Amino acid sequence: MTSREGFVPAINSSAAAGGFSNHKTYGVKYICASCAATFTLGKSESIRCKECGHRVIYKARTKRMVQFEAR
Amino acid sequence: MVAPKERLGFNTLKTTKRFQNPPKDETAFPLLAEAIYPHIHSFNALTEGPGGGLLNLAVKDIGKKTVYDSTEHRSANKLKIWIDSVQLMKPAVGSFDKTSLDRKTYPAECRERMSSYRGKLMLKVCWSVNDGPEMSEVRDAGYLPIMLKSNRCHLQTMSPEELVKCREESDELGGYFVVNGLEKLVRMLIVQRRNHPMAIVRPSFENRGHAYTKYGIQIRCVRPDQTSQTNVVHYLKDGNLTFRFSWRKNEYLVPVMMIMKALAETNDREIFDGIVGSDSSDSFLTDRLELLLRSYKSYGLHSQQETLAYLGDKFRVVFGVADDMSDVEVGKEVLRRIVLVHLDSNEDKFRMLLFMIRKLYTLVANDCCADNPDSSQHQEILLGGFLYGMILKEKMDEYLASITQQVNTDIDRGTGINFSERKYMTRLFSKVNENIGQKLQYFLSTGNLVSQSGLDLQQVSGYTVVADKINFYRFLSQFRMVHRGSFFAQLKTTTVRKLLPESWGFLCPVHTPDGSPCGLLNHLSHKCKVATEDSDVSKVGEALSLLGIVPKHGFAAGPNVCCVQLDGKVVGWCTHEQGRIVADTLRYWKVERTHGLPLDLEIGYVPPSTKGQYPGLYLFGGRARMMRPVKYLPLAKEDIVGPFEQVYLNVAVRPSEIESNIHSHVEFSPTNILSILANLTPFSDFNQSPRNMYQCQMGKQTMGTPGVALAHRSDNKLYRLQTGQTPIVKAKLYDQYGMDNFPNGTNAVVAVISYTGYDMDDAMIINKSADERGFGYGMVYKVEKIDLGMNRRRGDPITQHFGFGSDEWPEEWKGKLDADGLPMIGTKVEEGDPIVAYFDDTVGKTKIKTYHSSEPGYIEEVKLLGDNNDEELQMLTIKYRIIRDTQIGDKYSSRHGQKGVCSRKWPTVDMPFSETGIQPDVIINPHAFPSRMTIGMFVESLAGKAGALHGIAQDSTPWQFSEDDTPADFFGEQLLKAGYNYHGNEPMYSGATGEELRADIYMGVVYYQRLRHMVNDKFQVRSTGPVNSLTMQPVKGRKRSGGIRVGEMERDALIGHGSAFLLQDRLLNCSDYTQTSICRSCGSLLNPQTSVPRIGQKSSIRCRSCATKIESETLLKDVDESEIWEDGQSNRFIGGADTTTIGIPFVLKYLDSELAAMGIRMRYNVSPK
Repeated sequence: MTSREGFVPAINSSAAAGGFSNHKTYGVKYICASCAATFTLGKSESIRCKECGHRVIYKARTKRMVQFEAR
Repeated sequence: MVAPKERLGFNTLKTTKRFQNPPKDETAFPLLAEAIYPHIHSFNALTEGPGGGLLNLAVKDIGKKTVYDSTEHRSANKLKIWIDSVQLMKPAVGSFDKTSLDRKTYPAECRERMSSYRGKLMLKVCWSVNDGPEMSEVRDAGYLPIMLKSNRCHLQTMSPEELVKCREESDELGGYFVVNGLEKLVRMLIVQRRNHPMAIVRPSFENRGHAYTKYGIQIRCVRPDQTSQTNVVHYLKDGNLTFRFSWRKNEYLVPVMMIMKALAETNDREIFDGIVGSDSSDSFLTDRLELLLRSYKSYGLHSQQETLAYLGDKFRVVFGVADDMSDVEVGKEVLRRIVLVHLDSNEDKFRMLLFMIRKLYTLVANDCCADNPDSSQHQEILLGGFLYGMILKEKMDEYLASITQQVNTDIDRGTGINFSERKYMTRLFSKVNENIGQKLQYFLSTGNLVSQSGLDLQQVSGYTVVADKINFYRFLSQFRMVHRGSFFAQLKTTTVRKLLPESWGFLCPVHTPDGSPCGLLNHLSHKCKVATEDSDVSKVGEALSLLGIVPKHGFAAGPNVCCVQLDGKVVGWCTHEQGRIVADTLRYWKVERTHGLPLDLEIGYVPPSTKGQYPGLYLFGGRARMMRPVKYLPLAKEDIVGPFEQVYLNVAVRPSEIESNIHSHVEFSPTNILSILANLTPFSDFNQSPRNMYQCQMGKQTMGTPGVALAHRSDNKLYRLQTGQTPIVKAKLYDQYGMDNFPNGTNAVVAVISYTGYDMDDAMIINKSADERGFGYGMVYKVEKIDLGMNRRRGDPITQHFGFGSDEWPEEWKGKLDADGLPMIGTKVEEGDPIVAYFDDTVGKTKIKTYHSSEPGYIEEVKLLGDNNDEELQMLTIKYRIIRDTQIGDKYSSRHGQKGVCSRKWPTVDMPFSETGIQPDVIINPHAFPSRMTIGMFVESLAGKAGALHGIAQDSTPWQFSEDDTPADFFGEQLLKAGYNYHGNEPMYSGATGEELRADIYMGVVYYQRLRHMVNDKFQVRSTGPVNSLTMQPVKGRKRSGGIRVGEMERDALIGHGSAFLLQDRLLNCSDYTQTSICRSCGSLLNPQTSVPRIGQKSSIRCRSCATKIESETLLKDVDESEIWEDGQSNRFIGGADTTTIGIPFVLKYLDSELAAMGIRMRYNVSPK
């Protein structure tokens, strides 16, 4: 189980077989707390802003629709 | 009306614009910075000021340590080692960090990363071998936490605009430390006034020995580096005197004569004259002095050298001095380090000691009274920065000591020692613990003082507190808080807690909590300052000689002449008449700013009196004194007054009460005596005083606006009011302190009426529509830290990674989590929802962490925190936003100590309405007023109503009105002009019937605060739930959804009511009711067991001890097969079927088992009812 990188075939075959991906890749974006640069982060990358090297990074708000019942 | 001259405004646009474009030059609220002044400047004093700051003074005082490289001293090499200077750097990223563009570390990053804001501490360590050439090396002593906005902080000189860029508040105050992400502050402590000998009568002195009496003179001497040493002179029953001091937590007693002989080459005649002066006819005094002088003869020490050698011999081991020092040198060292350490020269010490002895004899003769150690007159404030410096000094001393110790260990181990070799020295340094910064960080994060000497302080813990940001009031008042010391909290007597008139203008009489810390935890009055720098007293001597003070006259002594002292040093003598003139002239000169006298010089002239305070003229210019401005009448200029001198000054409170030849000063404003918070209570002069105390408490518990840079904070819990308003009725100080930046409540239309029946007993009704429009709407931010590396040891590989693995996991996790395994921002999470997914290498599975709170929350922020090693993501914080709209049971209060709980949200249609159609937002019961007498609330209601009608802000500063000019009239006229009733009453109509109410209703606008105590944090109910596995009884604690115990007293009450079924329900059914089987024949609770079911049959309960075991098949001949039963181990039995089921409390079974373990059998006789 150590080789987590590289191509991994979809295990949840139901969604894959259906021809569409249930979770569309929204590409999670991150924002630097210091310089407000936006970037993406790989899994084993170190937590540093790619522009300024700052070590606090905010997760950007999701692009997905977030909807609540207004009651 | 005469009172409010300048009109207050709402300044809405100004505030908005200031937030949009923060000032580029300086803060708009200098008063705020002034409030924090003592904290920041006491920290700055560590590194700046005369002598290179306190730290450099401290290392000078520590001196040089000597150590030899062999136990045989004659042939040994001598190493002298000392710290030459101390340097403190500004916080920056480490040198190994190559990625960061900005090398500076800012506080906001430390708060978010839960790290500490600290800078490097550098010590220049010097040494010389055999008194040869000096060598030096700069050693890194770890990272020292740095106070925000101090001279070692990047924020110090920033403009509001720059501060905002650094993700701080636009008017960040500083004055605290950031330690592990928490804001910590060193609280101010009240200690004895420095360098002034205090006459003390304390019965506990008698416990020191059979000859000891309750009389003593105590002086707390402070060295230039702000460390202190207390000296006490005790009076013994026979008239003798002992000098007491403590060193490294041990007490030492030395005859006073010995100290005096050691201080100066003197004779008995000189000592006698120095104490008696011209009062040789006082036989009480001369008798005792004779004894004092005679009894010392037994030591046979005549000269100064002999005495020093004797002292040195006795204290050589205690002080651990270098072996090459002679006894005389050690004796001198004792005097330097112990005796009256605030003075340099031995002659001055000698003079001071003479003065102390005379004061002690005067006290014993009852010719003067004891000084009150609980009065502000004899108190000063130990500031955080100075305490920090004291600890640092001790740690540096220990560092040097550990180096010498390491050399000694090397000698014992036989390691090669070569002082002149640099390599050896470097190795020596690396062997000892050099991380002083970490020790200070420990101090800040726990508040515990780890010290060998005790630092002359009375407590070991509780020095620091977390600077809560519940709201701005709370935050601000913590910096103005002074504590008397936790030692006094245990004291059974209440004398220390008393409010004394001496503290007028220095400590707020209103702002102290009720309950256990009452009177011990005080707050500085808002105009009170604390000196952080020594005043320049170099010209005082000149001024005094101009005024004809005889310098140090040998024959002058005693309370019949006026002793002039400057910072605990006898500078001269004069007559009492002269003393008064000198004091008055000095004051005139200093206010005039001539003769080079500092304005903050304290001129404490104590006039002669019959059995009053010991007279004299005492001048103080030191640090840590409380000071406050008042107007000096002869010059109509500002004078700075201290608590020592204030006792003997006549300060008029108002200009109108000034009488010529009596008053020398007048207050700038009577409100100067109140703390910042107490000043903000509107019309507090109309309230009963305890109500103002309550408001000071509740103001600090209000759900308000903790700050505006909330996005960049990671506090565990933060309350926020969504609909904060500026109060219509506010004191002038409200605007000066910029309270509108952090609004704390809402203006509400309040009707005082008993209307619904739900408003009994301090309950309040909230208009449902007002609630829906956002009255008191707030939320709570909670931050959860998730650290995957928590259980990982240093150096171990990372085994847990955020994100999903390639194994199989439930698809619905993706509903709340993104592909990175972190929650989507904005999603709602409820109990049990996944908040983070991570892949565990060791088991090869994707796991989640779930949300644990009964209240749903929304994901507000997810912050990824990098660590120092540039590893992949291991730590993050999630901020939840939890909605807290008003619920029945939430607590509200006005600003007059009138708290209440919302009991209903009443529909608007059913609310009463006035003739103009106004319906109240809040209804309170009239019974809240008669016993509490909060007239201020009525006045606020009136003023608020008039202000709302005319669109003006009303000034509620206390003491603006008088009997002839009442607020009722002032605001009543305004109401009349707006077409309302002069008294504030209005005819009202019932919302239910539409009929006019029989009485006119008092309705107005009052500023309401929502308190942070909310039912959602408080309610505790359960019917079933988690139980203790041993007793099967409900667990306790709200957090674990446990129950509230029905204790003995509750049980007694239920018995008294005869409510047996309720009792049964509480104590048994809802607790540990269990059904269990019992054997009827043997009466055992433990023996019955379940048999293994036979095919086609049910299992049965059988008593094992009553059954017969079937050992051989022969027995089975005439037995019915169905009678045989089998246990789990394939043993077969017959019989034991006489069992039944009973209901018992489970603990009974537990008791039975415990007894069985001790060989006691319990037998229950059961029979049908």
